[in-house]
Amino acid sequence: MNTSQFVLSLIHAFGGVRGRTLFQKRGYFVSLLMGFNFDLGYQAHYYGPYSAKLDGTLTQMKNLGFVEEATTGFGVISDGFEMRRYDYNLTEDGKRVLEPFLKTAEYAEIAKAVRKIKDAGDPDYVELSIAAKAFFILKKQRKGMTPTELKEEATKFRWDIPENSLGKAVDFLSKVRLASTP
Amino acid sequence: MRQSLEIRDPIHGFIYREPEERDVMDTCIFQRLRRLKQLALASLVYPGATHTRFEHSIGAFHLAGKIADALGVASSEAQLLRLAALLHDIGHGPFSHVAEPILKKHSDREKLGKEITESKVHELIGWHIIDTDKELARHISDKHREQIVGLLKGTWGHRYLQEIVSGPIDADKQDYLLRDSLFSGVKYGVYDQERLSNTLAIREDEDDTFLAISIDGIHALEQFVLAKYYMTTQVYRHRIRLITDQMIERGIGLGIEVDGVDWLKALYRFDGTPEYVKNYMQWSDERLINEILGSATPDGYAKRIFTRLNNRQLFKCIFDVDKNDFPDPNVRNFVFGDSKDFYRPLEKTIAEEFKLDSNEVIAYTIKFDSAARTESEIPVIHGMKTPTMFRDESTLFASVDQKIREQRFQIYAPVSFLGETDKKKRLREFKNGILESITKMANPQKELALEGDTSI
Repeated sequence: MNTSQFVLSLIHAFGGVRGRTLFQKRGYFVSLLMGFNFDLGYQAHYYGPYSAKLDGTLTQMKNLGFVEEATTGFGVISDGFEMRRYDYNLTEDGKRVLEPFLKTAEYAEIAKAVRKIKDAGDPDYVELSIAAKAFFILKKQRKGMTPTELKEEATKFRWDIPENSLGKAVDFLSKVRLASTP
Repeated sequence: MRQSLEIRDPIHGFIYREPEERDVMDTCIFQRLRRLKQLALASLVYPGATHTRFEHSIGAFHLAGKIADALGVASSEAQLLRLAALLHDIGHGPFSHVAEPILKKHSDREKLGKEITESKVHELIGWHIIDTDKELARHISDKHREQIVGLLKGTWGHRYLQEIVSGPIDADKQDYLLRDSLFSGVKYGVYDQERLSNTLAIREDEDDTFLAISIDGIHALEQFVLAKYYMTTQVYRHRIRLITDQMIERGIGLGIEVDGVDWLKALYRFDGTPEYVKNYMQWSDERLINEILGSATPDGYAKRIFTRLNNRQLFKCIFDVDKNDFPDPNVRNFVFGDSKDFYRPLEKTIAEEFKLDSNEVIAYTIKFDSAARTESEIPVIHGMKTPTMFRDESTLFASVDQKIREQRFQIYAPVSFLGETDKKKRLREFKNGILESITKMANPQKELALEGDTSI
C-alpha cells in the first residue's frame, strides 16, 4: 500500500471527511488500529500528531482530480482552532482509481479500523485532536494511559477545551482499547 | 577586537562571530564548502548563480542567531543553534542535492541499516563529520558536537530550537531564498526577513515548545511563502536547470553502472567509515568535472554527458505533460503516482522507437516532496486565545501550496532540431509516440486483450 491508496481509502471508508484536522487525526488512529505497520511519519505538533506526508499526498490527490475539496469559512473562531473547514470527497475518477484496491486485504484492515472508530462514538475534530495528542505524548513518554492519566494530560494543552469534549476523547480511547485499565 | 571578527555579507551586511565560531569557519572541512556551488550548474541558466555553500552556511548561521535573539533564547543554546546552522550543509558533496539520489542508490545499505531509509545520505555524512572530524573537535567540545548533531537530527533540544535549524521557516530557507534570488538576478525571492524574525514566537504546552508566529507576522510569512513559490518556479524548477540536474545525475550514474569508473564507485558508496569520509571530503564540483573529463577516466557515458555539460550542449525536453494530458484516471495515476518503476522500460521503448540510446533518454517527474513540512500548520498566536493555523489565517497559502505541488512529467534526450518547423513537427511526433507508449504500459491487460482479439 502506498500513501495515495491510504488517503483515498480513508476518505472512501468514512464516506467523506469534514475538516483537514479531522482527516489528520482519523489518519493517525486508523494507522494505529490497522493490523499492520504503516508509518506515515506523524510528528509532535501543537495541535496533536501531524503527518506532512498525509497532508502533502491529500493535496496531490486533489491536484490529480481524485479528491474534491469544499471550503466553509466560519468567519470568527467559535470553538476549537479551525477557522475554515475543508470537506473532502472522492471524485468519480478517484473512485475508479481506488476500485481495484478495495478488494485487497490492506483495504479490509483500513475498513475494520474505521468501523472501530465509528463504533467508539466517531468523535469530532476537537475530541479526536485531544485524544490523539494525549495518546501521542503519553506513548512517547512511556507513561501510563489510564483514563485519569489521559484526562490529566489533556488539561495541560492550554487549549480552550469544553469539559464534555475531554470526556468524549478519553471515552473514545477506552473504547478503541488504546487507554489502559486503571 | 570584535571588529576583526566581522564578515561582510551581501545579504545581511556585517555578520559578527565569536572567536570559536571563527575557528570553526577556518577548519578545512568548513572551507571545503567554498568549492561546492549552492545551485550546482544553475549558472548555465543564470550566469550570476555561482555562489557557494560557504557563504550560505554563514548566512544561515547569522539568521539562526538573529532568530534566537528575537525569541530570547538562552546564550548557551543560541550558540549551539548558530553552530548547527553553520554546519547544516557540511555533509554535501559535489553538486550537493543533485547527487543525493546517486548516494541513496549506491551507499552500503547493509552497513548503514535503517538509517539510510530514514535520512538523506548527505545528512548522515554531515553528522558523521561533526562527530568525528578532529579539527572540529579542537574547537567544539564532545558534548556540544553531540548536541549539535541532536539538533540537526531532531533528537536533542526543544522542538522550536530544532525548527530554527530544520523546519518550514528555518534559518536555512530564510537565507537561501534571499541569496539565490540575489545571485541569480531573479528578484522574486525577497521578503521582509526582519519582520518575519521579529514576529516569531514560542508556544508551549506540557510536552514541548513549538515555533509559532504572532498574528502581526502573517503578511511577512505570506511574503516568504510567495518568495519560495516564485523561486521554485523561476529558478529551482527552471526548465534548463532541471535538464542540467538530470544530466549530472545520469552522467554520474552511468559512470558507475555502465562505464565502471572505480573512483566514482568509491565516491558514492557511503559506508559510514572514516576512510570513506576522508576521501569524500577531497571532492568538489570542479574536481569531479575535471576528473571525468581527464585522461584517467575512460571514454564512456560519463565523459560524453559531462563534455556536453561543459560546453552547454544540453539535452532537450522532448515530452512535457501534466495531468490534463491524461483523461483516463488510471493512466494519470500510473504516471503521477508514487512508483517510478515504469521509467526505465519507457526510456527503452522511446529509444527504440526514435532511434536513440536508451541510456541517454531520461524520464523525470517534477514534483514537490510530499513528505516535506510546509508552513500550513504553523500556530498563529492571537493574544490569549487558542492559536489558529497559518493555512486558515492566510488568504493565499492554500492556492500557492496547491500550485507548487502540481506535477509535470518530462522526457529529456540528446536531440537537435533543424529550425522551428522541424522542432514543432518532431515534438508532435515525440508527444504522440510517447503518449501511446505510456497508455500501453498503464493498461497492459487491455493491450493483451486487444492483441488476442482476432475479430475484424
